[in-house]
Amino acid sequence: MLLLCRRLVIVKIHNISIFTHLDVVAKMNKICIYIDRFNDAIGRASSWLCLLMVLMMVLIVTLRYVFHVGSVALQESIIYINAIIFTFGAAYTLKEQGHVRVDIFYSRFTPKQQALVDLAGALIFLIPVCIFIIFSSWDYVLVAWRIKESSAEGSGLPFVYLLKASIWVLAGLIILQGIAESLRAFGKFLSVEVEEGK
Amino acid sequence: MAEFLPILFFLVICLVLMAGYPVAFSLAGVSLLFASLGTMLGGFDSAYLGLIPNRIYGILINQNLYAVPLFVFMGSMLEKSRIADDLLKNMALVFGRMPGGLGISVIVVGMLLAASTGIVGATVVTMGILSLPTMLKAGYKPSLAAGTVCATGTLGQIIPPSICLVLLGEVISNSYQQSQLNSGVFAPDFVSIGDLFAGAIIPGLILVSAYAGYVFIYARLRAEDAPPLEQEVALTKFGMAIALVKGLMPPVFLMVAVLGSILFGIATPTEAASVGALGAMLLAAAKRALNLRVMHEVAIETTKVTSMVYLILVGATIFSSVFRGFGGDLLIEELLNGLPGGVISATLIVMLLIFLLGFILDFIEITFMVVPLVGPILLGMGLDPIWLGVMIAINLQTSFLTPPFGFSLFYLRSVAPIKLKTSDIYRGVVPFIVIQISLMLLLTFQPKFVTWLPSLLH
Repeated sequence: MLLLCRRLVIVKIHNISIFTHLDVVAKMNKICIYIDRFNDAIGRASSWLCLLMVLMMVLIVTLRYVFHVGSVALQESIIYINAIIFTFGAAYTLKEQGHVRVDIFYSRFTPKQQALVDLAGALIFLIPVCIFIIFSSWDYVLVAWRIKESSAEGSGLPFVYLLKASIWVLAGLIILQGIAESLRAFGKFLSVEVEEGK
Repeated sequence: MAEFLPILFFLVICLVLMAGYPVAFSLAGVSLLFASLGTMLGGFDSAYLGLIPNRIYGILINQNLYAVPLFVFMGSMLEKSRIADDLLKNMALVFGRMPGGLGISVIVVGMLLAASTGIVGATVVTMGILSLPTMLKAGYKPSLAAGTVCATGTLGQIIPPSICLVLLGEVISNSYQQSQLNSGVFAPDFVSIGDLFAGAIIPGLILVSAYAGYVFIYARLRAEDAPPLEQEVALTKFGMAIALVKGLMPPVFLMVAVLGSILFGIATPTEAASVGALGAMLLAAAKRALNLRVMHEVAIETTKVTSMVYLILVGATIFSSVFRGFGGDLLIEELLNGLPGGVISATLIVMLLIFLLGFILDFIEITFMVVPLVGPILLGMGLDPIWLGVMIAINLQTSFLTPPFGFSLFYLRSVAPIKLKTSDIYRGVVPFIVIQISLMLLLTFQPKFVTWLPSLLH
């Protein structure tokens, strides 16, 4: 977190010479910080579900092999836990640079070139892809939501509509983080340019 | 011209990926750009786009994939609680005094650790940090040390229960059903992830023995290049036994229990993975290394790797929907079926393609992007699904080791001391590549090494 703040401060200092409107830069940085904090909190909190998932699965195994009891609802709860880990954690992973890159060339780029790749990638790929995911699944999720779609199994959990809606959460959180990442890349891109111009 | 659009599409994707933006978004983004281009110019069936939401939902509810977070949790727990470090230390203590012993310890530890990590880079980096300095300090020839660490780092893909095999098993299983449906079999045979685990065990053990054998012979012939470890305290026999039991037994027991229960059909991979994760926590607790901080670190690591894998799966789903929308699957089928030499040349071409793609894409991407396209066709030609899966895994592993583009070499370079020359790394991996190729030849002419164990367990 400290490192992050420091990076933002550097961006800010360099940007002063470019932007005459200081408040634009300040606002940009503020947006980045808020989005980062938001996704950080969500990712860190939902990561505890990994532990829950292990324990639940062990419980299921124990019930099944030791007590010969199987519960569909318990089984299905794993689906939900796993889905939350991914759909709530993907944006956090983006923030933490956890999504793999083909970095044969990227790792040798200058910071400015890297920023350019990140900015272009966010604007051309990340944000449009997530918007596409939301729009293409619009009816799909709404229909499930309207009928409050339930598990196909009688004794299963009645929350399939929530599970389908988590596709929107996934895309929405990633768009949000994508905005922060592109603002940051934009700032980095400009500041490095200033540095090299000296 | 238009019929080769899918090939152009694929090439553009490979080029764009080189720019280094995260793979999942690049894959999906380029696919959607091509899809809109195709919709405007014609030649693209946009009905395929409508299937995407349901396929993403299908990813979320796929029970086989739950093994991913659970195995990552297990592996990360073993690493973060420093059980892995202890393992290497104790192995070195016991075997370090014989020539080449340290190298063999590194290979065995790599095999045990490998099982639980899925990403080539991660294993190579861990092994590189953990063991390369120790080997160099002990006086190992730099090329031997570098080669051993690189090769050992890639073992992670072929030794079950690796995440790579879980994912590959899932894809191969679907491909197998697909190929049978295509040829009109409506009560298809079934291949499970556990079957692929079983198939990979013997080739994996052959590989580990060959690696260890190479280091052993090397040390015999040129003892000065792989000297025994100098120890400050001479251990008694009893002390050695204690070190062995304390350091080696628990992780080995864990791996054997997890694998055994899967192979003997007692538990599904997902169930076994959860018990393995709990076991890893208990081992950490026994070491007094289990606290809230470690647990949160492990949970966060698990979240990151799981999200990464799932997001690539989403990206690859969008890619394959668009690729099919362009008729790419039909084109590939036509090309492969039209080859002179039938199944043999088709397999060779696919293997060569996968080998080359291994230079730019990691295991997971190739598994999700390429295998679903070529798998059903090759299996339709009569290949054994387990054999194909194991061969793809070994092939990719070889690709990751091959200079100058192999992933493993890049990752080792990034953590190796500067005085270790890149040419040393390249020279060091050559014998291991020879071992890999020999194993592939062996399995080609003696597929029984792959298929025997799974058939025994059925």
